[in-house]
Amino acid sequence: MAKNVKIKKSGQEEMVGFALIIIVVAVILLIFLGIWLREDKTDSVESYELNSFMQVLLEYTVDCLENYETDACVKCSKRYYSLKELIIACNEGEKCIEEVDTCDVLEPKLKSIIDSIWKVSENTPLKGYNLKIDTKEESILEIKKGNTTNNYKTSVQRLGRDNLQVEFNIYY
Amino acid sequence: MVKKGQLKIQQMTFMLIAVTLFFILVGLFLLSISFSGIKESATELCEENALLLASKIANSPEFSCGESFGTTKTNCIDADKVIALIENSDEYKNFWGVSNIEIRKIYPEFSTEVLCKRENYPNCNVMRIFPEEEIEGVYVSNYALLCRKEYFKGLVGGGCDSEEIETVEEIIYDECELAKIMINYEYGKEC
Repeated sequence: MAKNVKIKKSGQEEMVGFALIIIVVAVILLIFLGIWLREDKTDSVESYELNSFMQVLLEYTVDCLENYETDACVKCSKRYYSLKELIIACNEGEKCIEEVDTCDVLEPKLKSIIDSIWKVSENTPLKGYNLKIDTKEESILEIKKGNTTNNYKTSVQRLGRDNLQVEFNIYY
Repeated sequence: MVKKGQLKIQQMTFMLIAVTLFFILVGLFLLSISFSGIKESATELCEENALLLASKIANSPEFSCGESFGTTKTNCIDADKVIALIENSDEYKNFWGVSNIEIRKIYPEFSTEVLCKRENYPNCNVMRIFPEEEIEGVYVSNYALLCRKEYFKGLVGGGCDSEEIETVEEIIYDECELAKIMINYEYGKEC
């Protein structure tokens, strides 16, 4: 009887040992999986190409003469707005020298540029795009085309004034 | 007693085999997870390197705008510099270690391809550094800003309190358009 109890106890110890090994390995596995899954995946979504596009887009010269007054001239201008300056001027409610609202120039110009470079259709890999210009408080402009999908690339450019930022997403 | 000892050894062996197999399976599982994205990452890295090459050339002193158009801009190419460079391109053969460099205006769009020369500049859309060789085979491209100095006739003077008469004068301004810089290189050199 005492012998039986001893054998049973030894068997139980082995089972506990085996269970412990399994638990330790499972914990190690879970830690590895956790680290692997927590790695920042934003890099693969942020695109170097899209960032380059946004950087050059914001410096594009727009057909809107900056409107300002000097001591020498009531209404004069020596330069055209860049797209970045036009966004800031639009946010501040300024007008071009031809008395055209800067926001009225901004939207069609942006749409025309994006449509000519990022062609959206059923037959192209690009399924849609979405461009948003906003401050922390309000949305200034949003241009959308096509469909949104889960496979997308994004670029966010901060204009360094009034918390203005331009976010451009392209969907594949 | 001997039989019992043998049974114990057998148990131990099975146990060891089971544990070893378990560890091997776990190892294989982890390896397959970590290696699954390696090819994809390599391709991405290769593409990024290629884009960096295009940026590196666009930002080199022979092409870059510097501070000629206000503040320093990334990927900004001085079109006036490039047109001068095309005329002296023979001296720059093998300088960048690439087969050819092309800067193609993408906005405003042109209906046809017009190669830039001193005679038709700036009414052209393709600036090829070595015009005798076409861009073919392997190439990389990146977005760039193509800037030049332009002028328009504007009113100067005639302020409220001034007695100055308003006059029409040529005013120089910066014109920056959207372009793509394309670098043609030998296959296998960049990746």
